[in-house]
Amino acid sequence: MSLRINEGEIFGLLGPNGAGKTSTLSAIEGLVRPDSGSIRIGEIDARENPTAAKARMGVQLQSTSFQSDLTIREIVRLYAGLYGVPLTRAEIDDLLASIHLEEDVSKRFSQLSGGQQKRVSLLIATIHNPPLVLLDEPTAGLDPQARRQLWDRIERLRDTGRSILLTTHSMEEAQAVCQRVAIIDRGKLLTVDTPAGLIEKHKDDPRVRKVAHGQVTLDDVFIGLTGSELRD
Amino acid sequence: MRSPTAAPSARVPTLSGILTALLRADFTLQLRNGRALVLALLPPLVLLYAQFAGKRGVQLGDPVFRVATSITFGIASIAILGYTATVAKDREKGVFQRLRVTPAPTWTIMVSRLAVQLVSMLVMTVVVLLAAAVVEKLSLDPAAYLLTLLAVIFSSAVFLGVGQALVGLIKSTDTINAVGRLVYLPLFGLGLFAHSEIFGTTFETISRWSPAGAVSTLLGGAMHPAAWSAETWGALLASVLYSVVFAGVGIRWFQWSTR
Repeated sequence: MSLRINEGEIFGLLGPNGAGKTSTLSAIEGLVRPDSGSIRIGEIDARENPTAAKARMGVQLQSTSFQSDLTIREIVRLYAGLYGVPLTRAEIDDLLASIHLEEDVSKRFSQLSGGQQKRVSLLIATIHNPPLVLLDEPTAGLDPQARRQLWDRIERLRDTGRSILLTTHSMEEAQAVCQRVAIIDRGKLLTVDTPAGLIEKHKDDPRVRKVAHGQVTLDDVFIGLTGSELRD
Repeated sequence: MRSPTAAPSARVPTLSGILTALLRADFTLQLRNGRALVLALLPPLVLLYAQFAGKRGVQLGDPVFRVATSITFGIASIAILGYTATVAKDREKGVFQRLRVTPAPTWTIMVSRLAVQLVSMLVMTVVVLLAAAVVEKLSLDPAAYLLTLLAVIFSSAVFLGVGQALVGLIKSTDTINAVGRLVYLPLFGLGLFAHSEIFGTTFETISRWSPAGAVSTLLGGAMHPAAWSAETWGALLASVLYSVVFAGVGIRWFQWSTR
């Protein structure tokens, strides 16, 4: 698999369960060491210099897990420290106010709603202004309002020049926020283009035509290329 | 960064900044964890009381050794029950994975946690020594107090090694908690009779060279430096060997994630 994410771009990674989306992110994040290949964050070789690479990326994992007995103010202070960003208590409170959690600074992470947890998680992923942000299913489990808000936040990050790589199961999300989308399955890159470009490129593919109900959608392209069988 | 609208940057954090952040968070968690505090202080104080109040306590050894045994019990409680429980829980919840995607070197994550446990052990030791001085009128030379604290630092490696081996060999949090309890009492109970012939000399010898027995002998030697002997040196060597073996197993097979 070979991918390039451009500056100021939201790049979506689509694939059924077990396709390798999280594994791909884990390799970039340094959680797993790939057997071969290379990963570069700007000029930094992530395999040779993982610390410098990690300093240049912000990560939101699929299941967000912070120390359950710390308050969200303490969690923000911890991660700011880990990224070398000195923040005063007032600055931390301002940051939490910017995501509408000014009333919740003393709450434990587990006491927040799903949407609030995702906002804290995204705040921590970007606390050090990384050029690259990796988001693993950032809106999974959110209600439509919370999802829209998160999309707005992700787009604002993109507008400041950051590159964003996100994985998603939602075609709606891919079409709404991603400039380009890659469909992968079983660790292989099947296709990559803009959402509209993917539909145009594959609309006459017999596998896609077979599953389409009327006008071909991104859903049809996805199912046509990855198959209709259920995945665990 | 002060807001997500700022331009991207890429500063690499300093090691001291990383360690400061981790230590502050880990100490906060430890102080907030009532179970950990109880585990750190209650077992050694109860044992201390039982050894001095019980009629047959004198059969377990001289007063210095009985205090050393209580401290050993406290070290074992903190390491085998407290340390393993927090590591297993955080691993299962994915806390380690979240920390590992930051620039913090992985060793700093563990060093911070071990440092917190070590400080707990030192605090527990001071409390036990104070209790022994106040209640049992057992006081040591100033140098012996210092040597005892140094010996605690040394001894902690044995039981933290056992704890690390447990979390290295077992993935499931529930299983770790269960096995921890199963290992803890026999491991400690064996050491309790390191200076007692209640069960015969063979049992005493086995007990004396068990992990808890070696630690108790080492601590007893540190508390009474004038009586430091070849046996104390042997206990020191045995402690080093146990530490290397247990920690080696724990580090070799430790996994950061349960998935």
